Amino acid sequence: MPRLASTSHLRRLRHLLLSDQDRRELHLTTCAETACRASGAMTIVQAVQGYLLQHGLVDRIALHATGCHGFCEMGPTLLVEPQQAFYPKVKVEHVPEIIEAALEGRYVEHLLYRDSHTGRICYQRDDIPFFKHQQRTVLGMSQKIEAERIHDYIVHGGYAALAQALDQGDPAWVVEEVKRSGLRGRGGGGFPTGLKWEMLARQPGDRGKFLVCNADEGDPGAYMDRSILEGNPHSVLEGMLLGAYATGATEGIVYVRSEYPLASQHLSVALRQAREFGLLGQGILGTDFHFDVQMIRGAGAFVCGEETALIHSVEGKMGEPRQRPPFPIEKGIDGKPTAINNVETWANIPVIINQGAEQFAAIGTKNNSGTKVFSLVGKIKNTGLVEVPMGMTIGQIVHDIGGGPVGKAKIKAVQTGGPSGGCIPASQFHLPIDYDTLAAAGSIMGSGGMIVMDESTCMVDVAKYFMNFLRDESCGKCFTCRKGTQRMYEILDDITRGLGTPEHIDLLEELALVVKDTTMCGLGQTAANPVLSTLRHFRHEYQRHVIDKRCDAFVCRELVGASCQAACPLETEAWRYVALVEKGRYEEAYQVIREANPLPSICARVCDRQCEQHCQLGAMGADPVAIRALKRFVTDRVDPSVYRQKRVEGGAGPICAQHPKGRSGKSDLSSSPGPPSIAVIGAGPAGLTAAHDLAGLGYRVTLFDAEAEPGGMLLGCIPAYRLPREVLRKEIQSLLTENITLRCGTVLGRDVTLDGLFAEGFRAVFLAIGADKSWRLDLPGEELAGVCSSMEFLKAFNLHGEELAGGNVGIIGGGNSAVDAARVAMRQRHVQSVRLLYRRTSRDMPAFAEEVEAALEEGIELETLVSPVKIRYIEAALREGVKVETMVSPVRIHARDGRLVGIECVRNRLGDMDASGRRRPVAIPGSEFTLSLNTLIVAIGERPDSEPLKTMGLEIDKAGSVVVDPDTLATGREGVFAGGDLVTGPNTVVGAMAAGRRAAQSIDRYLQGLPLRRPPEVHLPSVFVEPAAVEPDEDEAPVRIDPATIPAPSRQKSFVEVELSLSAEQAAAEARRCLRCDLKFTSPASGRAVCPAAEN
Amino acid sequence: MAGVAEHAVDEQGILDILQRHSTDRGGLIAVMADIQAEWGFLPEEALRIVARASGRSLVDVYGIATFYSAFSLRPRGKHLICACLGTACHVRGGPGVVEEIERQLGIRQGETTPDGLFTLETVNCLGACALGPVVVIDGHYFSKVRKTQVRRLLDDTLAGRAGKEDGAGRLVPLEVSCPRCNRSLMDPGHPIEERPSIRVTACFDDQYGRVRFSSWYGGNGFCAEPEIPSGHTARLLCPYCHEELTGTDACPACDAAMAAMLVRGGGVLRVCSRQGCSGRRLDFP
Repeated sequence: MPRLASTSHLRRLRHLLLSDQDRRELHLTTCAETACRASGAMTIVQAVQGYLLQHGLVDRIALHATGCHGFCEMGPTLLVEPQQAFYPKVKVEHVPEIIEAALEGRYVEHLLYRDSHTGRICYQRDDIPFFKHQQRTVLGMSQKIEAERIHDYIVHGGYAALAQALDQGDPAWVVEEVKRSGLRGRGGGGFPTGLKWEMLARQPGDRGKFLVCNADEGDPGAYMDRSILEGNPHSVLEGMLLGAYATGATEGIVYVRSEYPLASQHLSVALRQAREFGLLGQGILGTDFHFDVQMIRGAGAFVCGEETALIHSVEGKMGEPRQRPPFPIEKGIDGKPTAINNVETWANIPVIINQGAEQFAAIGTKNNSGTKVFSLVGKIKNTGLVEVPMGMTIGQIVHDIGGGPVGKAKIKAVQTGGPSGGCIPASQFHLPIDYDTLAAAGSIMGSGGMIVMDESTCMVDVAKYFMNFLRDESCGKCFTCRKGTQRMYEILDDITRGLGTPEHIDLLEELALVVKDTTMCGLGQTAANPVLSTLRHFRHEYQRHVIDKRCDAFVCRELVGASCQAACPLETEAWRYVALVEKGRYEEAYQVIREANPLPSICARVCDRQCEQHCQLGAMGADPVAIRALKRFVTDRVDPSVYRQKRVEGGAGPICAQHPKGRSGKSDLSSSPGPPSIAVIGAGPAGLTAAHDLAGLGYRVTLFDAEAEPGGMLLGCIPAYRLPREVLRKEIQSLLTENITLRCGTVLGRDVTLDGLFAEGFRAVFLAIGADKSWRLDLPGEELAGVCSSMEFLKAFNLHGEELAGGNVGIIGGGNSAVDAARVAMRQRHVQSVRLLYRRTSRDMPAFAEEVEAALEEGIELETLVSPVKIRYIEAALREGVKVETMVSPVRIHARDGRLVGIECVRNRLGDMDASGRRRPVAIPGSEFTLSLNTLIVAIGERPDSEPLKTMGLEIDKAGSVVVDPDTLATGREGVFAGGDLVTGPNTVVGAMAAGRRAAQSIDRYLQGLPLRRPPEVHLPSVFVEPAAVEPDEDEAPVRIDPATIPAPSRQKSFVEVELSLSAEQAAAEARRCLRCDLKFTSPASGRAVCPAAEN
Repeated sequence: MAGVAEHAVDEQGILDILQRHSTDRGGLIAVMADIQAEWGFLPEEALRIVARASGRSLVDVYGIATFYSAFSLRPRGKHLICACLGTACHVRGGPGVVEEIERQLGIRQGETTPDGLFTLETVNCLGACALGPVVVIDGHYFSKVRKTQVRRLLDDTLAGRAGKEDGAGRLVPLEVSCPRCNRSLMDPGHPIEERPSIRVTACFDDQYGRVRFSSWYGGNGFCAEPEIPSGHTARLLCPYCHEELTGTDACPACDAAMAAMLVRGGGVLRVCSRQGCSGRRLDFP
């Protein structure tokens, strides 16, 4: 290629290339940059080429392997033009299908992108929300051109800005344009680029001046610079050429970090081509403008992103920063004036010259003009590179473009600005993204990394991560940075290992401020930011670590141990019984379960399984181990009599009598002979557990219940098809030892009072009367015949066999009791149809997902067009001939002759995010519709029936809950403790059981005269169980085995248990999937398990 | 140490590298990068030669060698595993993957297995954040790596399968001809990888010989008679018209000239002329 001798020569070349444009009818484009290559893009390129060759399609279809399209999560991708069809995650076997359809102008629907919220197919790329909300200007060309072809760049208007500037012949004009555009440095500092250039232009030029492109993109989590260099290196060169022309710079340097091999490869190709074309070197485009650019590769040092350190590195020295002034603009490389800008800044320059400064400045907000590229990564659905106008809110980026959280865990923060930046909590997602707002929120823009963090990210761990990074990358020149980052790391490490005290937090904060004030370069001055910003927004997480020794994200290993155990409110050693099941040692497994849990068969059926939610297998993206199903397997198979109660320390009675230690100072506790008596009010899971534990400690317990039979909510609310009555009764019976006296049919406030109980000689009382009073809709007509609450409805049936539902049944609510009521109604004889009405989307339903699904299978109606989950449900519902309504709220109850005949509802749309992280339902005026109903069941929530307790000296909050000390469950009245749903509002079975256990411990300490509060304990795995002998060697990871259910048709009108048990083979296979997190603590090879927290 | 012999440093090689970088910027960093590319690490002897020949003090040289994390003063294993611990990989479970690699190999990060097969290093960010956790083994990127995949990745690496898509079905069979005389360059008499090979004349060191390579696009079968030393380039000629198969493009991987051949059905196959470089590309103009 001959050198281009003038700007008009360049224009002619472009004209020529344009007129010679590809006439092929179809164009396939695939992204071929690093991330998509890692996902297999080059294999797709080969497959397409092979198909084109073999089918003689080379003349009809063109293939372009271009730069980044941004949707890295979905790579490799294939864009078909002119249709604009966008196929994500393309596999080799999809290629023929896609090409054949494209030739016929069809779409391959099942391969197209499907919106995860609405389930709609996106036929064209720009229908995809990820693209729709973006404004891809700087990145725009990357996705159209092949980086290694300068012709592609020229065809798309490349080097036109340079030509324009050269034709104008006025360098000052270029500086002025950049100044007027308001462009600020995209590397993070936000210094006005035009101003910097003006300063460089004013420097004496006799010794030469340097321009540097800083491509040492060291912020972990940011990769826009790599993408631009890989996908469109000429745009950076053109920007530098314009800069050199404007400022009189003579030499250019691109400093690329060594971790970016493909970027430096593409850049060196671009440099060579630009020289060949006469776009670099002497007499550029036939003018007297000279400028050349050299690439220098870094060698892995974060601090080299700092400009004085970068200069040292360019000079071939250690990359240590130096004192400023003199600033590089006066004395930079080799002591010559030097201006350093970031890759993205350079790539913006041609855009400004092409568009004109005014148009550029019109994008974004005042003082923050233009677009900005962000790398949206971490715990978010659509990871990738996004480009948006400055001033878009964080929430729009995270939810509209990013698609929100990956799984169920809620997003709690984004981290911006890398190690020098900070975290912004979800409560501030309404903030617009610009340099000034982020700084005010305690973070910085940085180069544009946005790392999304959810509930499974520990903020203390994040601070520790960054501090580890910084102590590693501190060059060591300043004492306070070198030692300060090291000490801050050590303090954070202590905190994450359970060795922290509240003083640690104070010291950390003090140290952070000192490091900030006393260091020389940007690295040190911002090194405290990760600590200061997490302390500012997430101090409670630090406090949980140091005071309660808990890591709620289940990240800090020494505080968590095995996450299944830590997640269980009863701290059941799930890992241990899972391992024993794998070995076939079922009786030992039962022993392990029963030691922690007095109601194992019940929990094996109705537990909400926190253990599975926090299973590490799940955290890795696989399905968690089916722990509850394994528990069911064990409890079905082992006779409970194998369990021998473990002796418990402390306590009062016969057991304790054999423990001299436990008896000390306790002889005067009881005025009557024998152990002290304790009253437990409420025989639900909380009361039963408390009674069991107290009886085990040797106390005499009297268990009161208002109903005729113990069981509480287990009996009254949970339907028999989930929890068979004989299982329930047998298990409760087995707990009632000779130390427990049962007094059923006794109502607190009617039959007994607290004063009365103490007068009877009870030394302590545990209140666990649950929450069974239903909230009302507050609509006129709720007292009509045919309207009832879910509690009334369920209890009438479960306890007394009364069927309150008939005809067409409507149920309002989306929680477990709504779904239970729906499924029970479905089974009642006179019911024709059941319709569930929920005001939000089915994704937001608080009920267990599998219960919702089962309900739909059984024919409960659910109607929605909002989420894909629902669409699946609709299919199930259609099969059964029934439906569910979401996004509707009741507004009026219709009656005739004192009896319900229907309900009027209004449809909702989704509004803003509310405090719970869900979108608020907003009524659509005019969308009212009427359903005719014979029965209406209101299931919008329950609260405790705590009215009588007010007169007994107890404090009750607005929601009707009893106020207690959350750690000890002590109420304001001495000797009275409360727990379970009465305190928390409706909660889980296992949560109530844990409250019962805690109450038993507190009562024991109270009666022994010990302080109620116990020091926090960390229970790490301590028993070694040999891991499975065979290494799983399958190609694919084995999939989770869920227990079978009896088919929906045979469930009609039947209360037979729906879920079946696993077979022995299935159980062993499922147990083998466990990652055995415990081995880290128990494996003889890794040394004896020591709990740092326990040592204290 | 057993490995000493193979790490022997020839002074001329070092001086050549110094010479190559005598004019460009970057100085010692570029020199050391090249030395490391050649020997896999920075041998002490090499650093002494660099200091002597460049006139810089050994302290300066050592300072640079230890300041930058890309440089290693210890020999590295046959396979280099580089696990990303950038923020995005960190929050997606990168540390667990590193721990699993450490457990499987019985070494800590920064160490090499006693058998010299694996070196495990970590890096602060590879810029493939959307696909975390990322592990790079011998230059092949693996995305969204799970702990449970580690064993297989290591086994595949040992078996030479890592990063290679399996099955010849994914390769494209090519038939090529000389762009000048249009005669077929296919040689059915000497199949490579069970297909007729592509045969061209190679001119290296004023000697003429034959080069045959696989006619699978994506295949890497190759043989040259007489042998061409690795890293050297040869001129590739048509065996019939003896014209050089010149193309305008340089190899994207190594910058050497690429030979161009016409592909039956349309398109141009470009092959790098450097011995040992796998640079090939198929273009449909």
